Amino acid sequence: MNATHAQTPTGSMRSAEGLPIEEVDCPLCGRDDAEPIAVGEDFEYRTTRDTWRMVRCRRCRLVYLNPRPAPAALDDIYPDSYHAFDFEPERYGLIHAVRSRLETRRLRRWCRRLPKSARILDVGCGDGFHLRLLQRHGRPGWQLEGVDPSPRAVEAAHDAGLTVHAGTVEQAGLPRAQYDLALMIMTIEHMADPAATLEAVRQLLKPRGRLVVVTDNVDTIDFRVFGRRHWGGYHFPRHFHLFDADTLGALAEANGFRVRRMETAVSPVNAVYSVRNLLVDLGAPRRVVERFGLDALVGLGVFTAVDALQAAFDHGSVLTAILERPANGHVVRGRFGGAA
Amino acid sequence: MSARRDPAPVAIVGGGLAGLTAAHALRHHGIPFRLFEASDRLAGLARSFRDADGFSHDFGAHFVTNRLAAALGMGAECRTVHHYGEVVRLDGEDIGYPLGLLGVPRFDVSAAWTRLRDAVASSPAPGDAAAWFRHNYGEALADEVALPLLEAWSGQPADRLAPAVGEKLPGGLLETLWLKLAGRLTDRAVAIGYCGALPQSASVWHVYPEHGVGSICARLAEGLDDAVSLGTRVQRIHVEGDRAVSVRVNDQDLPVSAVISTAPIHILPRLVEGTDALERFARFRFRPMILANLNLEGRHLLSDTVVWLPEKDFASYRVTEAPISMPWLAPEGKTTLTVDIGCEVGDDWWKASDDDIARHCLEDIAPLVPDAAARHLGHRVLRTPIGYPVFMRAYEADRLRLALDGTGVDNLLSVGRNGAFDHLLMEDVYCRTLAQVQPLIDDLLPAVRAA
Repeated sequence: MNATHAQTPTGSMRSAEGLPIEEVDCPLCGRDDAEPIAVGEDFEYRTTRDTWRMVRCRRCRLVYLNPRPAPAALDDIYPDSYHAFDFEPERYGLIHAVRSRLETRRLRRWCRRLPKSARILDVGCGDGFHLRLLQRHGRPGWQLEGVDPSPRAVEAAHDAGLTVHAGTVEQAGLPRAQYDLALMIMTIEHMADPAATLEAVRQLLKPRGRLVVVTDNVDTIDFRVFGRRHWGGYHFPRHFHLFDADTLGALAEANGFRVRRMETAVSPVNAVYSVRNLLVDLGAPRRVVERFGLDALVGLGVFTAVDALQAAFDHGSVLTAILERPANGHVVRGRFGGAA
Repeated sequence: MSARRDPAPVAIVGGGLAGLTAAHALRHHGIPFRLFEASDRLAGLARSFRDADGFSHDFGAHFVTNRLAAALGMGAECRTVHHYGEVVRLDGEDIGYPLGLLGVPRFDVSAAWTRLRDAVASSPAPGDAAAWFRHNYGEALADEVALPLLEAWSGQPADRLAPAVGEKLPGGLLETLWLKLAGRLTDRAVAIGYCGALPQSASVWHVYPEHGVGSICARLAEGLDDAVSLGTRVQRIHVEGDRAVSVRVNDQDLPVSAVISTAPIHILPRLVEGTDALERFARFRFRPMILANLNLEGRHLLSDTVVWLPEKDFASYRVTEAPISMPWLAPEGKTTLTVDIGCEVGDDWWKASDDDIARHCLEDIAPLVPDAAARHLGHRVLRTPIGYPVFMRAYEADRLRLALDGTGVDNLLSVGRNGAFDHLLMEDVYCRTLAQVQPLIDDLLPAVRAA
């Protein structure tokens, strides 16, 4: 059993549109004492008319959505056009090429010391974007697998010839202590119970196996500027938890991982979407709004430069944690106050 | 195997917003409770109703914030309030509050002079509300606007009121300017000075639930039926040592692990037996109020949603045309003016018939709406003996003690607008009640989990 609070949504309600919602306690410390920091809407996909509240735990400072969509609402809040299912080179052109290149560089770094026959699992792999990069640029002997609860994502990945298990990592029945590396790239923030997910992933890793967690960073300037409502990283109502280095480190340690490295990287996405959300909220004309999106070259370029400055001071928009499953019998000594 | 016994329930006295907020929080944590509501329905001050002619009336608050709606998952069923404004009537002219008052030269000169004089003389901190307003607003604005309103509203001379009355007013000028501007830019009634427990922001504005503000309580009450007893009055709260141990309901004693009371704080000492710790609260005063809802032909009869009336010529101190902000509260082409009259229980106003009150109110507002009597379609008059808490200097120390240390009985909480004896609007009632209940939850949770 993991050492953090197991999330037990105890209050269940139904919004006016019939979207089931649930109230939760802080998934990191288990307390139900949080201050509201933002109120927002689904500015991007308009899957619901509801308004959502992001709160920050007064004890451990984790930022989380409360109340949030219940599991039964997941199909409603992830529309078919959702970008994780649909990041195609034909549509995104140069952006796709640049992102692929950057992501390849990062993946290579994380995979540097892997053996020839390493087994790699991408948790929440979406349409298999990262698996395809590994397929193309990795070593031929690597065994690449993904796991994703979305049937649509699994189908897309299968079509691309990838091995993707359907379901959550907890449910998929994957073999224990077999993987050298697991990736959770922009997925932990979507997960209903991140502690349970980390625990499940830890059990799949070999001793000394590594997990790379990449997620939005709340310790940034754009969060401070837009954090009351429009911040792109909120992604209402699909991001259930948002981290900074301290809360992500504490969560990892509480679930038996050793934090090898915690760093931030450049990404313009949250800043671009913050401006876009503001414009949408103010009812700006569509042609103005469209200047700010995943396919808007100028906006992405400008905010990449801005974020590069932040990243230079360790406040980049993307937080990356390199975690390790300790060797058998080894006790984690926590740096982030979350040791089990 | 020895089965652990469930801990005794928490007794919640009153099923208004505060009582239901507490109940909802206890249920979330699996803490057993019983909620007793003396009347035959829930919602208390937050109740809403629509009359046969299509006019809606909210007894307590007219709107909530989008932040409170989001907390309860009610955002989708709320309408945005696009405008909310207040004016002050002076010499027959309506002046915007608060920014318009800044444009009145005699107020500015007086405020500057008072500040300068007090700084040079290094005056002591104001000891009463009159001194506080004169110091902070300048003598002209205090004497012409703030103090007459305060006295009409509280029924007390301002020098007998505590300075805390003024300290309750919203934050700084720059923040107010920014929020007003943000409201204009976004076409939303950004909440200003509405909630003291949480920060103000351009992202927090007023909304109105489609089925009335009472639906907030209905949401909180979902799933609590098994623990709610309507038409059930708590007759006594028994205290032993410094702990509440049982409540008397239907002539039977029910052991409790704690009591959360929403009863008006000056009534609570009469309910409690076994301690005199609460006696000091018995002298706290509430100002009785008459709210006369006048249904009239026409719309936008006032220059803004709320008109404050500091001049002595008026019997009322405030008139509100809620349909300016929330058009859906009255049928098209019609409106409701709510006339607030401060009174005392048993005085001439209090004893007057509804029709007489309506007639007096129509005469009273004639300077604002000259043909009000001709437009009159009907009325609904509400009387409450506990309209607003009055912060008298005579018991200010005890009021602060209640706010900081609670009732003096460890496991007896006094919550909500009347229980906490504070000027709380709905979001504050919700937030403050959660904050007050949290330590109790922390205390009780280990025993509940063990059981």
